[in-house]
Amino acid sequence: MEMIQIVGLGLIATILILVVREQKPIFAFVLAAFTGVYLFLFLIGKIDTVITMIEHLANRSGIPGIYMATVLKIIGIAYIAEFGAQIVRDAGQESIAAKIEFAGKVLILVMAVPIISVIVETVLNLLPAGG
Amino acid sequence: MIKLAGALLVLFAGTMIGFYQAARFAARPRQLAQLAYVLQRLETEISYGYTPLPEALQRAAESGVEPVAGVLREAARRLAEQPDSSFRESWEAAVTDRWSDTAMRANERTIVLRLGPVLGISDREDQMKHLRLALLQLKSEEEAAREDQTRYEKMSKSLGLLLAALIVILMM
Amino acid sequence: MDVSAIFQIAGIGIIIAMIHTVLKQMGKEDMAHWVTVIGFVVVLFMVVRLLNELFQEIKTIFLFQ
Repeated sequence: MEMIQIVGLGLIATILILVVREQKPIFAFVLAAFTGVYLFLFLIGKIDTVITMIEHLANRSGIPGIYMATVLKIIGIAYIAEFGAQIVRDAGQESIAAKIEFAGKVLILVMAVPIISVIVETVLNLLPAGG
Repeated sequence: MIKLAGALLVLFAGTMIGFYQAARFAARPRQLAQLAYVLQRLETEISYGYTPLPEALQRAAESGVEPVAGVLREAARRLAEQPDSSFRESWEAAVTDRWSDTAMRANERTIVLRLGPVLGISDREDQMKHLRLALLQLKSEEEAAREDQTRYEKMSKSLGLLLAALIVILMM
Repeated sequence: MDVSAIFQIAGIGIIIAMIHTVLKQMGKEDMAHWVTVIGFVVVLFMVVRLLNELFQEIKTIFLFQ
């Protein structure tokens, strides 16, 4: 069962970090970052299956492929921003974490602009013309 | 399995190196004291016993312990076997030959080497003066060596073990 | 699940801390700091390598459409 492995690894890493923290805090931070990255890497493989399935469904339902791609990219940006902000927050740098999250939001907005303009146009087209 | 054996080997080697260095630090003040002792004995032989140098060297060597006594014994041997070379040459050859057996360093070697020309040429009073001077210098070296020992002996043991552990972890 | 890397980093961290203390007690504090920095750089290399792998995977899955 992978859940148990992941929880076990997290616990062991936490204990090691606590031990190392009072000797050399910098190594504790690096260890935390490394564990986070490692667990994320482990999960990416699973996420891949889910995403492929979603893509498959989307293709079958006839939605233009560009929408699917944009949505996936937005999800990716959200994941990365959350991950980075959390790690930085762990090191105590709240301001940098806030900036990372802000950057994530801005980039998502930028990516979403074409979709939003399409929605607005569709809505405008639905309104009775001239009325 | 092989990995574990290799790791244990590296750990063992590192610890042994650390212990060896620690032993050297511990041996140095001890040997400096012995050196002072045999030189003192030499001085006594020369001033009171009126003994000629080769025999005085031999007797002083007998009163000491290895490896320090080995230096004097080698000097006496060279004097006996090569009567053509001067005392200074035999002395210097013996010291350079046997010095690596001891845990002592270049400072005291210079002090001892300087005795060579003096012992070979000058008269008894001069020899005694120079021997006493050498004894004083060795005494201060011995104190410095004891200080070194207290500081570095335990540290080199731990350092040996820690560096070996680091190498094992890096290679894992 | 190859978790030896995490133990490696923790082990290196602890040992570097001990070496730092020993060297400091010997009086060679500057060498202690050098050793710590070098150990940190080594660990950093390990982390950056894994980070690179992660970002490659993310690019492949999310963005390489």
